[in-house]
Amino acid sequence: MSWTRLVLANLGRNPLRTVLTAAAVALAVALVSLLLTMPAGLDLILDRFASNTRISVHNKAGVVYPMPYAFTRKVRQVDGVVAAAAFTWFGGAYEEAGRVTFPNFAVEAEHVNAVYPDYAIDPGQMAAFLRYRDGAIVGRGTLKKYGWSLGDRITLKSTVWPVDLDLRIVGEVANDTAPMLWLRYDYLDEALKKQGWTGLGIAGVVWARVSDPKLVNAVMRTVDDLSRNSEAETASETEKSFFGNFFGSLDGLVRIILVITSLVALCIVFIAGNTTSMSVRERAGEIAVLRALGFPRRTIVQALVAEALLVVTGAGILGVLLAVGLTGTLRTVAGWNQTLGPLGNFMVTPGVVVQGLLLSVAMGLTAGIAPALGAVRRPVAEALREVF
Amino acid sequence: MAAHLPLGYSVRNVLARPARSLMTATVIALVVVACALLLGLIGSLRRTLIASGEALNLVVMRKGSDNDGSSQVTLEAYQMVRFLDGIARDAGDQPMVSPELVVQPFLRRLDGGRENVLVRGVEAMALPVHPEVRITQGRMIAPSAGEAVVGRGLVGRYEGAVLGGELRFGRGRWKVTGVLDAGGSSFESEIWVDARELGRDAKRLFPYSGVRLRARDAATMAALKRRIDADPRHALEAKPEVEYYASQAESADVLYILVVGVAVLAGIGAGFGAANTMYASVQARTAEIGTLRAMGFARGAILRAFQVEAAALGVLGFVIGAVASLVLAYVIRHAFGGVGFSASTFTTNVVLLRIGVTELAVAFVLAVVVGLAGGIAPAWRAARLRPIEALRRA
Amino acid sequence: MAEPLIVIRRVSRRYQRGADDVHALEDVSLDIDGGRFVALMGPSGSGKSTLLNLLSGIDQPSTGEVVVAGMRLADLDEDALAAWRARHVGLIFQFFNLMPVLSARDNVALPLLLTHLDRSERTRRAETALRVVGLSHRLDHFPRTLSGGEQQRVAIARAIVTDPDLIVADEPTGDLDARNAEEVLALLRQLTDQFGKTIVMVTHDPRALRFVDAAYHLDKGILLEGEAAHRADEAIRRAAGQPERRP
Repeated sequence: MSWTRLVLANLGRNPLRTVLTAAAVALAVALVSLLLTMPAGLDLILDRFASNTRISVHNKAGVVYPMPYAFTRKVRQVDGVVAAAAFTWFGGAYEEAGRVTFPNFAVEAEHVNAVYPDYAIDPGQMAAFLRYRDGAIVGRGTLKKYGWSLGDRITLKSTVWPVDLDLRIVGEVANDTAPMLWLRYDYLDEALKKQGWTGLGIAGVVWARVSDPKLVNAVMRTVDDLSRNSEAETASETEKSFFGNFFGSLDGLVRIILVITSLVALCIVFIAGNTTSMSVRERAGEIAVLRALGFPRRTIVQALVAEALLVVTGAGILGVLLAVGLTGTLRTVAGWNQTLGPLGNFMVTPGVVVQGLLLSVAMGLTAGIAPALGAVRRPVAEALREVF
Repeated sequence: MAAHLPLGYSVRNVLARPARSLMTATVIALVVVACALLLGLIGSLRRTLIASGEALNLVVMRKGSDNDGSSQVTLEAYQMVRFLDGIARDAGDQPMVSPELVVQPFLRRLDGGRENVLVRGVEAMALPVHPEVRITQGRMIAPSAGEAVVGRGLVGRYEGAVLGGELRFGRGRWKVTGVLDAGGSSFESEIWVDARELGRDAKRLFPYSGVRLRARDAATMAALKRRIDADPRHALEAKPEVEYYASQAESADVLYILVVGVAVLAGIGAGFGAANTMYASVQARTAEIGTLRAMGFARGAILRAFQVEAAALGVLGFVIGAVASLVLAYVIRHAFGGVGFSASTFTTNVVLLRIGVTELAVAFVLAVVVGLAGGIAPAWRAARLRPIEALRRA
Repeated sequence: MAEPLIVIRRVSRRYQRGADDVHALEDVSLDIDGGRFVALMGPSGSGKSTLLNLLSGIDQPSTGEVVVAGMRLADLDEDALAAWRARHVGLIFQFFNLMPVLSARDNVALPLLLTHLDRSERTRRAETALRVVGLSHRLDHFPRTLSGGEQQRVAIARAIVTDPDLIVADEPTGDLDARNAEEVLALLRQLTDQFGKTIVMVTHDPRALRFVDAAYHLDKGILLEGEAAHRADEAIRRAAGQPERRP
């Protein structure tokens, strides 16, 4: 006989009710966890890009406004800049006509590795990228999604440039969350010239790495000064700021998701609270006897709350597990989606698991506390009078 | 053999234990709110994306572009298209062809952050070709005057985005002379300016991104499309405007998966919750049920009575949820303004969360189904009570 | 002569029940010595259960004083009273005695959770108590598989497991048939005789008079004394067909 046995025995009092409550709570927690993966996906991307030495240089008027390609060289020459690479949006569609399903850029192959050393691209693969003009480096998530392997040849039809490019996959970036593909700047430039256009000549964004985080602000100021009063005034910002702004408009959706999440959590408290109330009401006689025997109010409240807590937390764990399974399916079905962006990653991060569990505990406590306090509110004598 | 139990019996039982009924109904209500909000959001988004599109309009872009933001059309191509046979003409016998230039500059949000906004450079034929677009405040822009009209959805979202205000984007400043209304379509998330001025400001090599034109009738529209697609000199393609916007809306469809997921999970969860309280209800009324059975009411009558109760709880839940969701939607609209969504043009579609009749109808069905589903097993148990057993337990 | 275990001085208890003002007890004074088995008797609403609640520390009087084993109960607040009861009083009720989800052994061990004894010690004492009431063969049975009489005996085991100064029982035989009632009363008697336990029992049951050392009668909240008490006593005995007993 111990406290644990008492609490557990009481849960077995009405197994059907316990199971129904647990099922309801588990499903609701699964839903909450599912919803929480959305803003978590956004945070994950932003944290990934927390490289505090990488900056983006783009046209002040907008990322869609180009900068002259020659400006890249000027950026490279600024004091404190270790490397700089020009990126241009290729907007290539793979198989699905006219639909871009993963971001793809034309990049300066000889500089890109120095700007992204943290991507840890295998040197052999990088060398292949430099050797083959039609080479492409792809994110692992994208490789998996389409079932590509190194050495495969694919064709991307640009929705922005009047060319289609045949590419050879020569390297991968160990990135499972953000889809990406890099092809070579000079390859696109050549293809355009072959069609009779004057070549690329522009850079969409210049990504640069600074030698020291402390120098970042100064470097950004210098770069923007260089372009001031020119045809293409630039605005430099850190990588984190760039993506923060890029996904900035998603905050409205995130807010609504959080509202819904709170509602569902409230629902859980209601369900569990209802169950506890019913259980407490049924046991009015026993509880009165326990108090008469000398069990202090605090102890009875603790035992009742422990019951609620046990059911809700246990169900919560099941719910989180269920969410893990569901997100896998959702991810496969949804894919990278323009509308949701990183919110559509549906990845159950450790943060989400912790949030789900903590929420379960909090909800269990909340659900149990009111009925438990109600059970011991009146003086013992009055409680006995009620039942006898 | 015995008749149905009257409807009043079920309804009165729901009202007799207000606390318990309210608990169950609230659980269902919360599911209703969650689904209504999401459905309302997606509905609003779809309504926005599908700019209704004029039935007889064609969107002409460079072959291979998926939207007019990434397309380029040369002056020669425009001139060629302009004089094609089959294009409708206005009162002044001018071909109804609207060349447009789409650029996506940054605009600074009043509540912090910045967004890509779709700025459409237009010429005089824009308004006639897009009949759903009307200037409801102020007036349309004059050419070469540095003016802009702002879509209704963007008013107040950016600095200067208000009648009489001054917008700063690209490399210049633009005076806002009017507000445009487009029946809730995506044009309301756009800023319209003079095409030539925009081209200069954005230093575009090509004067236009695309051309919109009105065909004389459906048959000519099909012929025009074929003619444009097959043109040997310019790599163009023409798409009916309705189709063009329908395909934009497809990207919002993935959100329906989310809604279905939420509805299923929340619905089943609420169903279990409802079952819980209904079982307790059955247990508490064992004697009463036994009496009814002793009086001669058949099992089916009992079953039906309890199912009606379950449905009634669903309806009650719907009512509570519907009111709550309408209130919440109102609060969200007024406290947070529009919700921004990223469009295929990488620009922002500002959507006002609105819960309409369709959404409420779906939520109603959901609520009743959840109530009924949750109530099935308890109703079954109630119906299977034998009279003597029930009386003895009392 | 030793101090009485229970001293009740001019005690009244009034409370609200809905809209009514109930005067459960009026100016009751009573001494009960230790080591005796006594009954509190009277018709429904006579205040006997209220009196029992007062002397067992479940309730506080509106006026007057209750002293048990030297402790002035008025000095204790609700939580302190609970702790006092846990240590000094064993309780037996007519219904809801046992937790249906626990075995007989675990039910008896329940009050020991409030002590600092470890698990094995708690189990040992529970088993001992059950042996005293003759239920060693029912240790692992749940209440639903025990007869009414056996359930009450488990309740009695629970009442003695903490070795309290005082045992109170509220209508312990009220729900039992003749044979079980006699067994329970005999058991209580045995506790007083063999272990010197003080037992105060509220009862309707005329059979109780055969087992108790003394019976106190209440009517409408007043303790009957002298001639009135004697008459009440006699009336009960006559109704039960029992011989008179000299007080």
